[in-house]
Amino acid sequence: MAARAAVEALLRERKLDRTLTTNLPERLQDEAVAPVGTDALDHALSGGVPRGHVSEVVGPSSSGRTSVAWAALAAATLRGESVALIDTFDRFDPPTAHACGMVLSKLLWVRGQAISKTTGAIDPAWLPGVRAVNGPGTFMERVIDRAIKALNLVVQSGVCTMVVIDLIDVPANALRRLPASTWFRIERAIEGSDTAVLILSAIPVARSAGGRSIQLGGDRPHVIWKGHHDRTRRVAGVRGRASIGAARWSDAPSVAIATSIVNVV
Amino acid sequence: MPALVDIARAFTPRFEQVPPHDAKSASWGPRVGSVVLLDAGGLSRLFGTAQELGEHLRDAISKQSPGDTNPRIAMASTQTAAALLALGSPGLTVVMPGKEAIALAPLSIHVLDQFENLSNPHEARGTRHEAPSSAPGTRHEAPSTSGWHHPRSTHQASRRPKRALENRLLEIFTKWGVKTLGALQALSGSEIHERLGERGAYWQSLARGVDARPMVPWVDDIPFEAALELEWPIEGLEPLSFVLARLLEPLAERLERADRGAATIYTSLRLTSRRVFTRTLPLPAPMRDPKTLRTLILLDLESHPPDAPVDTVRVFIEPTPAKVLQWTLLERAQPAVEQVSTLTARLTALMGAGHVGAPALVDTWRPGAFTMADFRSQIADQLPKVDRSIENQSLNLQPAVDQQSAICNLKSALRRFRFPIPARVVVNEGAPVRVQVDRQGFSSGAVAQAAGPWRTSGDWWNTPGPRSNASAPSAALGGSAAWDRDEWDVAMTDGTVYRLVVERGVGQWFLEGVID
Repeated sequence: MAARAAVEALLRERKLDRTLTTNLPERLQDEAVAPVGTDALDHALSGGVPRGHVSEVVGPSSSGRTSVAWAALAAATLRGESVALIDTFDRFDPPTAHACGMVLSKLLWVRGQAISKTTGAIDPAWLPGVRAVNGPGTFMERVIDRAIKALNLVVQSGVCTMVVIDLIDVPANALRRLPASTWFRIERAIEGSDTAVLILSAIPVARSAGGRSIQLGGDRPHVIWKGHHDRTRRVAGVRGRASIGAARWSDAPSVAIATSIVNVV
Repeated sequence: MPALVDIARAFTPRFEQVPPHDAKSASWGPRVGSVVLLDAGGLSRLFGTAQELGEHLRDAISKQSPGDTNPRIAMASTQTAAALLALGSPGLTVVMPGKEAIALAPLSIHVLDQFENLSNPHEARGTRHEAPSSAPGTRHEAPSTSGWHHPRSTHQASRRPKRALENRLLEIFTKWGVKTLGALQALSGSEIHERLGERGAYWQSLARGVDARPMVPWVDDIPFEAALELEWPIEGLEPLSFVLARLLEPLAERLERADRGAATIYTSLRLTSRRVFTRTLPLPAPMRDPKTLRTLILLDLESHPPDAPVDTVRVFIEPTPAKVLQWTLLERAQPAVEQVSTLTARLTALMGAGHVGAPALVDTWRPGAFTMADFRSQIADQLPKVDRSIENQSLNLQPAVDQQSAICNLKSALRRFRFPIPARVVVNEGAPVRVQVDRQGFSSGAVAQAAGPWRTSGDWWNTPGPRSNASAPSAALGGSAAWDRDEWDVAMTDGTVYRLVVERGVGQWFLEGVID
């Protein structure tokens, strides 16, 4: 015990006491987090997604990963904050997002390029010969590169308090090829600000020291059906679990996630 | 009078014409003269003492109008004293600071009436009866000089208006035997106020040379335009940025002085091919920061570059009153408009037009329809109330699940494939039982359970041709192509839930999205 006290005193003397686990607050200040809007998840996250840090939402298909990210965006827009979504492959569906409670006028939607087999379906602005497409690499790499550049621009501007980058459909090998400095740069850009960055992907990508990892789909997602007859049956929602991870957390709290289908018609 | 204004401009940028030029041209007419007041502060290093400055002015006026050999010029420490002296005594008069009352004392009291008429030309016309005017003889002369009578004013003029007490000040003072400003100065201020009210006291303060209002400098009504002809044609945006900075900085300064912001920027580039390349940049809100304006122009030109080197650069700014925003302490501070505009312009240059903005819903039943609107940060945004009906719809799962407080209830997101992904689907008894997708990263195999079909169609009344794919981007953006399809929600064995659609016209299956 005495040795521990001596080490702690030494760390404080050298102004390294931030690394002490004893200094970790039980719950972050209200201003330091962006609540997701659901009590259970906010409780597990110690208040919400930390501002000034990079967090991530990770999971397989239909595990509710996109729903979690949209919930965070919707909660922020309902608080009157401006938010941004860097949609790498143009997967965002505005009518569904509106039905999920998102205030669309508060959302800066940066649409990437939807990948298609036919070049005719690609926006002409993305074809070779047009500005910023002349970079190296494949078409896929250029799409990812643009998304990262867009993320940099948004976080450096400080306009939006929550920024989500959707990397779900990016192949794992392409994600691994991204240099680590990419995420360090983002972390440095938002450090000390009230911007929270959320990376949405299928596999863990990056998370800053103070960020959170929301890992969904530990078990296989359980689809909930309603109706017994073939003609009346419909998907009601999906149930799964999310485990929350953070640096220096000895145990990852787990929370049950239940998503419900909203009818946008 | 324009000649006098030109002379004043040659001496100082701070000068005022009394009455103002617009009032004079509209109602006063050329018969009554006007006074040009110059702020001589800071001119001593250029023109010497007040006497020397006065002589310079006299020479300049004589040179401008050789017939006028004895112009009326007065130098005093207050504008009222200078104007009264110029009206009352010919030639050059220079008054030492603090000696205004002494200099004004011998002037006739009629000078005050002239000064009053100059200061308030509208009131002197007599169209506003309640307005003070002390010159009964001149009050109704002005309308007749303009040659045009408003029907109402003609009707009013036919009836002699009843004059208020303050309109008869000159008459009263003459009856009292007060004929000079010195005599008026000598009267007791409190007694004048007691007998003649505020107006009498005001006249006495004028007679002592005290300023009743601050000077309002002349503002040139010239367009916010700047141009630069280059010695050598320039190519590329980097050198152009320096040119734009040189043009925009003085323009922004002028905008600030005029309390205006830029509403639209017109950039004209004369190219070496003798063509004029023009870009119009409407701004979401009035702004005048030169760096922001330059960045916005450059980003616009980056997306739409000129096809030849540039010879001449011309920038024209359409001004608009600057925006005044009252921020609230109760809400989160919103980012500045300049920041938002710059960010969206940068993102548009990077991602392409139509790829950046705020999504907006379209009034249609078309699945996934939306349109792109400008993203603007507005503090007055009315936040919609949460639709409780949707909230209440949410998840009627098992009651046991709802009772658990540890459950995180969310609404499902649909990740829509903007370009439909073709799928090979095996159908048994009308329902899909197997889905095969050639694309990497998508589940293929047996269908665990399926729900559907939900049939939708629309816009067939607008499109006579064959029905096209509703999932195409143009259709999603609110296009008018017809659609006719069946939707299925299918759960694959690995737990993935897809939304499948079959185009009824062609019988082709597509993956429309994944519920995530």
